[in-house]
Amino acid sequence: MSTTTFSSAEQRAQDQRTLRKEAKRNAWAYLFVSPFYLLYAVFGLFPLLYGVWLSFHQWDGISPMQWVGLNNYIKLFTADEVWWKAIYNTVWLFFGATTPQLLLALVLAFIINSGYIRFKDFFRAAYFMPFVASAVAVGILFTSLFGKQYGMFNYFLSLFGVPGVDWLGSADWLKPSIAAVTVWQWTGYSMIIFLAGLQSINPELYEAARVDGAETRDIFFRITMPLMSGVILFQVVTSIIGAMQNFDIPVMLAGGTQSSAPGGTDRAGLTAMMQLYWSAFKYNTGSKSGFGYASAMSFILFFIIVIFSYTYNRWRGQNPTED
Amino acid sequence: MAMNDKALSRRRFLRLAAAGIGAAGAAGVLAACGGAAPGEAPAADAPAEGDKVVVELTFWWWGAEGQIWADEYNKLNRGAKVTFVNTPFADSHDKLLTSFASGSGAPDIASLEIGRVGGFTAKGGLVDLKAAPFDGGKYEKDMVAYKWTQGSTSDGRLVAMPWDIGPAGVWYRTDLMEKMGLPSEPEAVEELFSHTKGKKWEDFFAIAAQVAEKSGGATKMVADAATDIYGGALRQGGEGYFDGMKVLIEEKATRPAQLAADFRKQKLDADIDWWGADWATGVKNDAFLGMVIACWMQGGLTREQPQTVGKWRIVPAPEASYNWGGSFCAIPEQTKNAELAWDFVQWACCSAEGQNAMFKPTGVFPAYKPAWADPLYDEPVEFFGGQRAFRMWANIADNVASIVRSPYDLQADDIVNAEMAKVMNEGKDPVQAIKDAEAEALKAIEGATP
Repeated sequence: MSTTTFSSAEQRAQDQRTLRKEAKRNAWAYLFVSPFYLLYAVFGLFPLLYGVWLSFHQWDGISPMQWVGLNNYIKLFTADEVWWKAIYNTVWLFFGATTPQLLLALVLAFIINSGYIRFKDFFRAAYFMPFVASAVAVGILFTSLFGKQYGMFNYFLSLFGVPGVDWLGSADWLKPSIAAVTVWQWTGYSMIIFLAGLQSINPELYEAARVDGAETRDIFFRITMPLMSGVILFQVVTSIIGAMQNFDIPVMLAGGTQSSAPGGTDRAGLTAMMQLYWSAFKYNTGSKSGFGYASAMSFILFFIIVIFSYTYNRWRGQNPTED
Repeated sequence: MAMNDKALSRRRFLRLAAAGIGAAGAAGVLAACGGAAPGEAPAADAPAEGDKVVVELTFWWWGAEGQIWADEYNKLNRGAKVTFVNTPFADSHDKLLTSFASGSGAPDIASLEIGRVGGFTAKGGLVDLKAAPFDGGKYEKDMVAYKWTQGSTSDGRLVAMPWDIGPAGVWYRTDLMEKMGLPSEPEAVEELFSHTKGKKWEDFFAIAAQVAEKSGGATKMVADAATDIYGGALRQGGEGYFDGMKVLIEEKATRPAQLAADFRKQKLDADIDWWGADWATGVKNDAFLGMVIACWMQGGLTREQPQTVGKWRIVPAPEASYNWGGSFCAIPEQTKNAELAWDFVQWACCSAEGQNAMFKPTGVFPAYKPAWADPLYDEPVEFFGGQRAFRMWANIADNVASIVRSPYDLQADDIVNAEMAKVMNEGKDPVQAIKDAEAEALKAIEGATP
């Protein structure tokens, strides 16, 4: 491939011969990696492509599918206020939950890594613990903590004479409540990733900085942060993906009951994934819901994730796969 | 040569290994695609009892008490063994829909709730219980009339067999009524606010005001006006925000919303949301002494609030009797044992024996009227402190407004509930809120007409 002494046709023939030979020589290797690709094709690629196909249809899951072209996308963009409200809530929760979560995790990881404290293993395990809890358990725990009349948070407030807050019932408090639970559950996970990144930094750099008289603050911003940029990028991108698909915690805290709608008062806690799921499975009749409409939603979400991730990459000027 | 032998044997080993992995992978894919689906045909592994081959049937429902039916039915040895699967209410119907969409995984007997039945009768996927070899048509006269209509499609097929209904009324705790210095015997309480004595919601409000006053605000009449008052008043006018494509939200919901808003404004409810941890604690703390709800609360209260068993009584609601909830049994077309599944459905839903086996311990009230003739219905009920409550449910059940179902029910419910939350939590004007809900429904559901 490096030589230029062949004409292009000869080059191509040569390449093909080499390729075929290589393929033949490595046939066993291909065979060994094939289970993954087969499974991926069946469980990954096919559903993805089928989803694209579905998004051009109207389908309730039972009746025959009906081709509607771009209509699902047109309706979503021009005539679906609830969907854009759900997108707004999702983006709000990204900034309101994921940003503090990552900042907090970074600071905690720095502290645990710093050598100032003892019982590191204990703190590491303690912060990571909420991540292991199942979403259902977390939901039950926090709905009772957030209870308007008998919740523990309001009980504490009452000790100081502060009137109780309707954490999950008021449109103003619902999103902060969801954000708080998200931070509680995910900070430990992010912290562990950051900690792994911190531990890969050569301690001699810190020592050298100290010898040169750098403050902890300077060390954090001038040594730790730049060297951590790859890990931070990974965290931010995976967090964007996670936040755009925010589903379980909002459903547990504001999933609706027989006498309340999903998303709570004014749909303040309705995320995009919730609206997608409800459209596909619960409101699945009619031309502005169903599996096709929900598939179109999922591709809009997909592009939002791409745009956010790309923007962040450009801003940081790096590619997450390098570094 | 030795080297060559080794290479050959290694190659052969690899080939065998690869073949093995490939086969396992393929088997895995196949299993995931359908082999694992419940409710398969009785293959070689069908258990045999005596010389009779027993077919396994799966039955999905969202109440743990479904096991009662499985156990009772299996005792009869009618050729099928029913396995009950507790499918949580929140996703039971979604799971069924997924199995229809993917073409596999449906149970032999599925349950459909009244709020979701409209979405299934409007489409396919369920067998017609009136077409041969089934003969479900003969049960029409035995079932509560509106229930039969709900289980039927617009072209007259019966795809969902009526199972239970939800006759509803006012529940109250005798101990707390006495504490408030109010009458506690059902006959006397009926005089206070039941429609059977010509009383209206206003009379109920007056008693609620007395409760709040006498307890100093510690105990209220009910937990949440959005459920107890709105939920009751709405269903008295016949549930269903849709009639065909015509939206009835303003017509049906305006007065109930006004009543609920009024009740909340006067601080007559405990302001505790239903179905959550706060509600359960509220019962334990005597935060409310009653509720306006259907008969099926009996099962959950027995399980989760055993200290209250024997203290509850029921009387008919103010203004009118009504129905809240209820379910259907259906047989998905995917089943390979439709005839045995039909045998179970007939025993469970269309016989006094099956219906009452479920009803007695749970309060899940039969839609099958001949079941009500059982002496059981005239016995004093321990849960209701010896009140002959079952006969009262039967009387209520016979006198409720009919209910219209539509595939848009759930969406309309959520649209209205989202507005009702603003009324209850933020003090929005109820008339305006219901107007907004109607407008949103017209926008969200294409083809809907005012």
